[in-house]
Amino acid sequence: MLARLIPVSLALALLQAALRFKDDGDLARRLQARDGGAMPELYDRYGRLVYSLILRIVRNSAAAEDLVQETFLRVWNRMPAFDQKRGALGPWVLTVARNRAIDYIRSVDGKMSAGALELDRLEHPGPFCDFEDRALSLDRARRLKDAFEKLTPNQKMVVEMAYYEGLSQTEMAERMQQPLGTVKTWVRSALKVLREQLSEAAAL
Amino acid sequence: MTCEELRDSYELYSLGLLDGEEKREIDAHLERNCAVCQKRLKDALGINALLLSQAPEVVPPSRLRRRVLASVGLERAGWGWLAAAAAACAVVVALWLSLEKRTTDRELADVRRALQQSVAERGRLEQAFTFLNQPETRQVNFGQGQPAPPRGNFFLNPRLGVLLIASNLPALPAGRAYEMWVIPKGGMPVPAGLFQSGPQGTAIHILPGVVDPNVTVAVTVEPESGSRAPTSGILFSAGF
Repeated sequence: MLARLIPVSLALALLQAALRFKDDGDLARRLQARDGGAMPELYDRYGRLVYSLILRIVRNSAAAEDLVQETFLRVWNRMPAFDQKRGALGPWVLTVARNRAIDYIRSVDGKMSAGALELDRLEHPGPFCDFEDRALSLDRARRLKDAFEKLTPNQKMVVEMAYYEGLSQTEMAERMQQPLGTVKTWVRSALKVLREQLSEAAAL
Repeated sequence: MTCEELRDSYELYSLGLLDGEEKREIDAHLERNCAVCQKRLKDALGINALLLSQAPEVVPPSRLRRRVLASVGLERAGWGWLAAAAAACAVVVALWLSLEKRTTDRELADVRRALQQSVAERGRLEQAFTFLNQPETRQVNFGQGQPAPPRGNFFLNPRLGVLLIASNLPALPAGRAYEMWVIPKGGMPVPAGLFQSGPQGTAIHILPGVVDPNVTVAVTVEPESGSRAPTSGILFSAGF
């Protein structure tokens, strides 16, 4: 499913444009200094990526617009806690966007809250530092895409349910009417494949 | 649990999808600054970002940028374009009102000028009636029997002055005016005031004040600033 949803050239071009760590340090510094031009630049760099991700998750353009606004507002408000020298804006912004969207669809489904606080905690900018320059390189994006395409249909499905629907493994098992153990195996094996492909790339 | 046993759980943990013992274990490892777990969490965040960035591209509406910037106080709210349009409309309305006011002012000035003319005309007519009602006023007419001359009457009241009521006055070129003269017997013409004819070639002109009852009154055409002595031939005159 994910493979069907990824127009590779577009996504890679987006990555190339968006995940520029070297520039992010200066942008983060200016965001923290409340530089008037920094927020427009942040939006111009990540706005399309964030909107695309959120729309993919919520499948409702009006809600997506609200959530994009909420995402950038949250990033803006939490910038003081961001490590401008070591932090990676791109992964953090995407994580905030994904979590806002997941929180939204869970609340629409009447599931709000168990995970809301947890998602909020995971958006803290602290862990998003010390990424290597190559961590989100175009090459790694390409490798991840290739690796994803090699997954089995069930593996792809569980990865997509985790990332784009925010389903726990128990919920996936219910949805797919499969034993929890089986689903866990699919999830872990899929993530292992992806992880190993990226590790191989790093070792080259 | 060991770091190795948790190896496959960091992605789900960082997505908020892990619960139970594995979550508690990772929390504990991170709390005690386990370097292995911190490194694996970072790797997991990297994989997450790579996967999340591959959503199909959709171009957001342009208004969204304004909304986002407005939400952090950097731009007027999404209705900024409307505010700009309203401001432009306000300018247009202000210009229109300004033009309207200018037109109104001009019309008002015209009315005021016409009113002043009417008041002046009424004043002259009242003076004329006063002249005509006084028993000592004498009247001399002029222009009778001429083919197309100015016609009219001079009225002289030694106490009130000289009144001229004329018609058929020719239209004058720009910069010229009629000037009345009082000419004492054996004396030089004395300027007795400038006047213009109306649209129908009519005019009422008054020289107020005491005047010698035995004078000749004449009218010439002079520069509109007036002359100290006639510079053109007498257009019409009458002796008392």
